[in-house]
Amino acid sequence: MTDKIKHIAVMLTFLVLTGVISFFCLTQESTAVSDSERRPLAQMPEYSSDKLLSGNFFPAFESYTVDQFPLRDSFRNLKAFIHTNLLGRNDNNGYYEADGYLGKLDYPLNESSLSHVIDRMQFIRNKYFKDGNHKVFYSVIPDKNYFLADKRPVMDYEKLIQTMEANLNDMTYIDIFDTLTIEDYYKTDTHWRQEQLSDVVQTLGNAMGIGDQLSKNYTVKELYPFYGVYSGQSALPTKPESLYYLTNSVLENCTVYNTETGKTGSVYDLDRFESQDPYEIFLSGSQAILTIQNPANTSGKRLILFRDSFGSSLAPLLAEAYSEVVLVDIRYVSSAFLDRFIEFTGQEDVLFLYSTLVLNSSSTLK
Amino acid sequence: MLFSSIPFLYYFLPLILAIYFLVPKRGKNLVLLIASLFFYFYGEPVYVLLMIGACVSSYIHGLLIHRFRGKPLSKVFLWSSIITSLAMLGFFKYSDFFLENLNAISGLDLPLLGLALPIGISFYTFQTLSYTVDVYRGDAQVQKNFISLATYVALFPQLIAGPIVRYTTVEEDLSGRTHSVEKFSAGISRFLIGLGKKVLIANQLGELCDIFRRSSDQSVLFFWLYAIGFSLHIYFDFSGYSDMAIGLGKLFGFRFLENFNYPFISKSISEFWRRWHMSLGSWFRDYVYIPLGGNRVSKGKWLRNILIVWLLTGFWHGAAWNFIIWGLFFGFFLVLEKFFLGAWLKKLPAFLSHIYVLFLVMISFVIFNASSMGQAFSDIGGLFGSGGLPMVSREALYQLRSFGWILVLALIGATPIPKLIVGKIKSHTTGHKILNLLEPVFLAGLLLVVTAYLVDGSFNPFLYFRF
Repeated sequence: MTDKIKHIAVMLTFLVLTGVISFFCLTQESTAVSDSERRPLAQMPEYSSDKLLSGNFFPAFESYTVDQFPLRDSFRNLKAFIHTNLLGRNDNNGYYEADGYLGKLDYPLNESSLSHVIDRMQFIRNKYFKDGNHKVFYSVIPDKNYFLADKRPVMDYEKLIQTMEANLNDMTYIDIFDTLTIEDYYKTDTHWRQEQLSDVVQTLGNAMGIGDQLSKNYTVKELYPFYGVYSGQSALPTKPESLYYLTNSVLENCTVYNTETGKTGSVYDLDRFESQDPYEIFLSGSQAILTIQNPANTSGKRLILFRDSFGSSLAPLLAEAYSEVVLVDIRYVSSAFLDRFIEFTGQEDVLFLYSTLVLNSSSTLK
Repeated sequence: MLFSSIPFLYYFLPLILAIYFLVPKRGKNLVLLIASLFFYFYGEPVYVLLMIGACVSSYIHGLLIHRFRGKPLSKVFLWSSIITSLAMLGFFKYSDFFLENLNAISGLDLPLLGLALPIGISFYTFQTLSYTVDVYRGDAQVQKNFISLATYVALFPQLIAGPIVRYTTVEEDLSGRTHSVEKFSAGISRFLIGLGKKVLIANQLGELCDIFRRSSDQSVLFFWLYAIGFSLHIYFDFSGYSDMAIGLGKLFGFRFLENFNYPFISKSISEFWRRWHMSLGSWFRDYVYIPLGGNRVSKGKWLRNILIVWLLTGFWHGAAWNFIIWGLFFGFFLVLEKFFLGAWLKKLPAFLSHIYVLFLVMISFVIFNASSMGQAFSDIGGLFGSGGLPMVSREALYQLRSFGWILVLALIGATPIPKLIVGKIKSHTTGHKILNLLEPVFLAGLLLVVTAYLVDGSFNPFLYFRF
């Protein structure tokens, strides 16, 4: 190729490429939500002279152009590939792949976040469970980084537990770290696998005095294909996996009451498998207050479970030992007003069960 | 507006190119001026008036200096233009610095103005200054067409982060520039290479520096990673911007002078400054150092001249003491090199001279990037393990592995090695043909990869925008 032809080729390549992309930028219809990133996408900002002169219009326009860029997901995948394969980065925006598992870096230990959790737990303990005959427990679910720590910076898990134990000495800590391995988590998701939790459930049950009342007989059901939350967010290449859930006649007869909506449903909401977050099949995902009512247990025993999304898949496995399991997510309801929605009897078992992901980023706990 | 942004690449630039090449020759400067004002308005809606004011001021002062040439009034208008430009720069950039220091010295509690720094003010102020001074000296013809002068001051490729383009450099291009496929192609190549330097290397190294600052797992290794990473970051960030500016200039028919010439291969600090931010170095040489007498004065005055130039160079970069110290740091070593160190360096093996320069430059950038002198000392101490720092930490090792390849690429890219390799291949006919074939493919791929990074990335401003 002569220099002259090269110059023409360079010019035409650039003009055609930018021209075509510009055309699609201008003509493509906006999308409301990114399914892969699981977030709303920026829309074209409304024009006003105030916005323009105050300098607020163009930053919003810039977000719009990036979020609504043609083939956005393909470009994100291309970036992730170049980033991790050609430029040798160990992670893409903090997401990494190790031994077939996707993880997200989460370090260092955020001590002020941990203090906030401890403060909320003490507040709840003192406000609702100080009097009466309560047994109050807490446990911590390690995130995947704990198991994939090799050569990666991770939060100081030991310090996290020590800090909680030092500040929550009127509650009983149940250690479940040793009952879990990386195989107990989904490869493409943050969460653990319900069908792998027998050791966790038994450890919790034994400590809470209900170990002998827990069922070991479940049928494993499979849903496919499952792309976990890290799959789209990381933009790294992933294969689909199966989502499993456990059921038996007791769980099939349980009902779940949602205090916020006033509706009653079942333990598994299988329609949610088609939603943005298929893990929401467990108790319909994050909800402020849910009550699992178990007609097979007439003891009148109640468990109040303060939890995050990990608790959604675990709670059904504790349900057999209780007449009622009340799940409270204080990200969606203020801990100061719980007695407006829940009638405490003074006899409940109480379990705080949080993943290290929430403990290290707890600003949303109210 | 950032060059490395989706709105610039896929909205602004295609539209401006289309309009620019459609309008007849006599309308091209007006198109560029309107485009440049919008470009500035996009990021600084209100301060665009300030920039227009700077254009009007330099236009009128130029006319008046020319009108009264040879008369005392000419000098009066020269000083009036200098004072106007410096007052504008001083008010917006340095007011709070002087107020803070006045408060500290006097015990007063004068309120700070808290003004936002108009983007690029340090660059376009120096350009308007060079214009009026050059007209006064007779080095440049007065520009009687306001559109042409305003196009020179506001020209968006070099408006907000340089290079500092002298009026004399583009004087001819403003009225009689030509366009060709070759220039356009060369402009695209240069622009995309600068874009790649910025997005694929500088932004990554900037991320490394941010990670270092946020980390609580510090070690000697991490401090060295940071210091090396920041030195390369600032080079790729700023030289990448200059490449983009020069490339965009070519697209529109302008020839800007080079701003960087592989500064990290220098064997002395004086050589480093002949290769680093060349447009700023030559500006201070021609408009400050030489008018003060340069080195054709007594040793005492010469030292004074060096001190003034490097104090001002540091102060130009930012209204904080660490920038002043940074400038004087270089001034100090330049004096040492003039007296005796330069002769010693020439006798040293080349690699030792390189190490000397790289080490001092790295230390200088640690000072440069510190938020205070306290942090600067602490960062320099960290390089040598002060305070009982461990040699390595888990996070430092992780980041070394994560950024290792980018650091290697950056180190090689900061030398002429890639250019020499390309030159070697091009010297063979077949190699030349193959490279010609690959270049459009490479550039298209580069644009797509950069786009992918921009689509996935977050807002990442250029470092030199703050000056």
